[in-house]
Order: sequence, then structure tokens, then C-alpha cells
Amino acid sequence: MEKRGMYQRYLNRFGWFCVAPAMILFALFMLYPIVSSLYYVTRRWKGMTNTFIGLGNFVRMAHDTIFQLAIAHNFLFMIVQIPLMIFLALVLAVLLNQGIRRLRGALRLAIFLPAVTSLVVVSVLFRVILQENGFLNNTMISAHLIKSPIGWLNDSFWAKVTIVLAMTWRWTGYNMVFFLVGLQSVDPEIYEAAEVDGASKARQFFSITLPLLVPVILFSAVTSTSGTMQLFDEPNILTWQGGPANATMTAAVYIYRQAFYVNADFGYATAMSYVVVLISGVFAFVQMRLLGERKAK
Amino acid sequence: MSMVRKWSAGRILALFVLLAAAAVSVFPFIWMVIGTTLNPNDVLRGILAPGRDFASNWVKATENYNLPLFFFNSLKIAVLTVVFGLVVNGLAAYGFEKHRSKARDKVFGVLLLTLIIPQIALVIPMFRMFAFFKLLDTHAAIVLPSIMSAFIIFFMRQNFKMFPTEIMEAARVDGAGEMGIFLRIVTPSMQATYASAAIYLFLGQWNSYLWPLITVLSDAKKTLPIAMASMMNAYTIEYGALMVIVCISVLPVLVLFLSMQKQFVAGLLGSIK
Repeated sequence: MEKRGMYQRYLNRFGWFCVAPAMILFALFMLYPIVSSLYYVTRRWKGMTNTFIGLGNFVRMAHDTIFQLAIAHNFLFMIVQIPLMIFLALVLAVLLNQGIRRLRGALRLAIFLPAVTSLVVVSVLFRVILQENGFLNNTMISAHLIKSPIGWLNDSFWAKVTIVLAMTWRWTGYNMVFFLVGLQSVDPEIYEAAEVDGASKARQFFSITLPLLVPVILFSAVTSTSGTMQLFDEPNILTWQGGPANATMTAAVYIYRQAFYVNADFGYATAMSYVVVLISGVFAFVQMRLLGERKAK
Repeated sequence: MSMVRKWSAGRILALFVLLAAAAVSVFPFIWMVIGTTLNPNDVLRGILAPGRDFASNWVKATENYNLPLFFFNSLKIAVLTVVFGLVVNGLAAYGFEKHRSKARDKVFGVLLLTLIIPQIALVIPMFRMFAFFKLLDTHAAIVLPSIMSAFIIFFMRQNFKMFPTEIMEAARVDGAGEMGIFLRIVTPSMQATYASAAIYLFLGQWNSYLWPLITVLSDAKKTLPIAMASMMNAYTIEYGALMVIVCISVLPVLVLFLSMQKQFVAGLLGSIK
């Protein structure tokens, strides 16, 4: 009896030993930043000194139209880019999954390829291709599609389009692979049965394929919304820190600028990051509930 | 299913859509490879025929912009992150899954909860912390915070679930120690999991931008993404040399992807199993 207890204690100690290194790093680089942010959020930095201002940073935020604009842009990119990308990825996955067996591997590889590039590389490439006198404008002019060059990077509307294009190019193939795996796990006998019952291809898609893909689509939506809420690399490089004139300013770029670029106001930047965390948390909660409900069924 | 199918209008349209998507996806790669052989003006205009300026672009990239240094900085940081990351996260995932206890399950719950916190919310206190310890502008500042990953621990734990506990019990009966069981019995049969985790860690660090942007202050410590981004801020941009650097920065990931497609995709899909 005594010996068995000792052995259990040894196993328990070994369990803690296994997770200890990760826990130390977790405490240093996750828990400590979270706890110390409670201090920063109540302070206002001026040069090297800082003073306690309580909830002053949140009051300031309520009057900061650029921050509100930045949050609105995050939502705009979410509403426009994610449905567009999921739609494209779904169409491509369904097309790839039907026939064309010989080319399937090559086509899937080609369409997935953008996912090997970093967001920095995507931003650099798109910024060069989309210059006023760059490749895309030149090609479109010589094809008589447009008369004068489009300001992809310096018009406030087209700059937003550029960000959406870059994100869609980078992520569509990536999401398509998820959908393909989802499609391939569908039992082909279901379709054969539907065929026997005389269901059309379109009917089969909407009543069999789509419902079975809902969990995968939700998963894509969850990861994409959290990614879009953090959108930083593209607006920071592709359109010069949210330019032109804040047209592509996102929350992350604005926080970065406040803390590290323009005025080193760590307190205000932390307060704004709380809003981003709050929004991400609400999204994650809602989406997890949706995913959980699907699984429970 | 029949072997011979009619080329109906629908199938031709489907093939056309797929080919168009593939062309749009691949084009920037071809364009950037050709760009390495062009002079800056032709890169910008988007000439699609190879030029003769590869040698001079390469010299500019390596001498004016110190490409080898940035490449080895990036490589060193990524490799260190992978090595430490596999050890720390693998061990933790094993501990959470195969040595379960109520307390450790609670810790794991907290760990997963922090996955929703965006990086931008953590970098400010982290920057102050590294500044306090005088560790800004070091590669340690980039490696240390990226070793532990709640996502990797979650992913590896999912895979450790599939390892039969009976085998561990049998080894215990034979008198094997716990560390020996982990190192000699469990780890060797988890190679695919470790490979996926390694790819995921490597990609995350090789491509990381925000945190290095904040901590790297001097040219000597720059990684490839930071070097590329700061080239874009210059008054005159050497597009030819830029394309060389872009190609070199994409190359390792491309090689990794083409040679280990299965583990690569498994790493991406790990989270939805």
C-alpha cells in the first residue's frame, strides 16, 4: 500500500516535470504580460515619465476617431474578404473534387502555393506589382481594360481593394485544402443513393455537400476572423502603415504606431489592445458555441 | 464510375476556372523569379522575359543589403525555435496527455484559453520586459517567446492520445523509467507528429514580422522579413536586388513544402482533427 502511494507520487512528479519548462515560458511570456498590462492600462506616458490616470485612456479612446475608423476597417475586411475567400475556396474545392483526376494533384499544388509565402513577401510582391506604373496597370491599359492607371496603393478605395486582393491570394488555396479534406471524407455512396432518387447535381450540393462541410467552413471562419482582427503585416508594408491617409488603418497598425512609432504611449496602446482582445474574445465565444452545437447534434 | 467521360460544357468550364485560379496563384512566383534577372525599371514594368541583370542584382543583394547575414540570422532563429520548441512542447504535450491529473487538466485549460489573445496585446508588456533585462536587439529576444506554443502543445497532445497506454504499462512492468519510456518508446513512434510540429514552428518563426520589427534595432540583427520590409521604406528601391531577396526567403519554405507535403498539410490540418 505504502509502496503504491510512493509510485503514484513519483508518476505525478514526473507529470509536473514534463510540463514545467513549458509552464515557466508560459508564465514569463503569457501570464506576466497579461498581468502587467493591468498596470500599463491605467497610466499615461509623457516622454520618460508616466502618471496614473485611471480609466483616462478609455475616455480618450471614445474621442479618437482614427482608432474607431481602424476598428471599422477590421470589420470591413472581415465582412468583405472572409465570405469572398470562403466562397472561392469552396468553389475550387468542389470543382477539384469532381473528375479531372489526372490534373487534380498538380492543380491543387498550384492553387495552394501562395500559402508558402510569408505575409511580408505577399505585401512586398503586391506592392511592386500594383505600383501606379507597375505590371498590373500596364497590362490592363495595353489590354484596353482601363484608360488611366488605377491608384491601387494611393486611392483610399482601391487601397482597401488591394488589401482584400492580397489576403485572398494568400489564403484561398490554404482554405481550399481544408474543404477538400472535408469533401473527401463524404461517403460516395450517399451521392449514389441521391442519384438513384433522382436528385440533381445542384440539389445534391445544397442538401448533402454543404451541410456536411459546415463544421469545416465554420473552422475556416473562426481562424480567419481572428486573423483579420489582428491584421498587421499587409497594411503596415503594402499600404505604408495604414495609408493612404488612414484608408487601410487597422487596430493593430494603430496600436503599433502609438506604442512604437509615433509617441511611445504604452498606456494608451495597451488600453486599445484591450478592446481588440475583447472583440476577439466575443467572436471566439460565439463561434465556439456554434461549433459546439454542431458537434452535439 | 465509368472510365470514359464526355467532355461536357460543364466540365470544360470547371477546368477553365481551375486553370485560371492556378495561373493567378502561380504567376507572382514566376514573375519574381524572372524579376531577379531584370533591371529595376523592368521589374516595375513587369517584363515577362528573362533579362541579363541577375549577376548585378545578386551582387547588390549580397553586398549592399547583406543578404547572407539576414539569411543566416533567419535560419539560426528558426532552427533554434524548432529545436527548443520540439523539446519543450513535446514533453509538455506528453505530460498533459499521458500523466493526467486534475490540476494539470486545469492548467491545460488556461493554456488553451490564451490562444484567443492577439499578439498585438502582448507585445507592449513584453517589449518593456525585454528592455528592462537589456535584451532588446538580441536574437534571444526573438527565440525565447516563440518556443512555447499552446497551439503546438494542443496539436501534439491530440496525437499522443493515439499512442496506446498499454505499451507504456508493459514497459513499466519491465522496469523502464518514465523518462526512458518517453525517449525510447513513445518519441520514436511519433516522428510524423514531430515533423508536422517542426514545420509549423519553423514557418511561424521564419515568417514572423511584428515581434522582430519591435525588438530588432540594428542592421546586424535583422531577419529576412525585417530586411525586406525596410527595403520597401527606402527612397529608391532596388527592385532587382529585392526580387533576389524575396526569392531566397521563399525558397526554404518551398523546398520544405515540396519535399514534405504530407506532414506540411498535416501540420495545417492538425487543429481540425
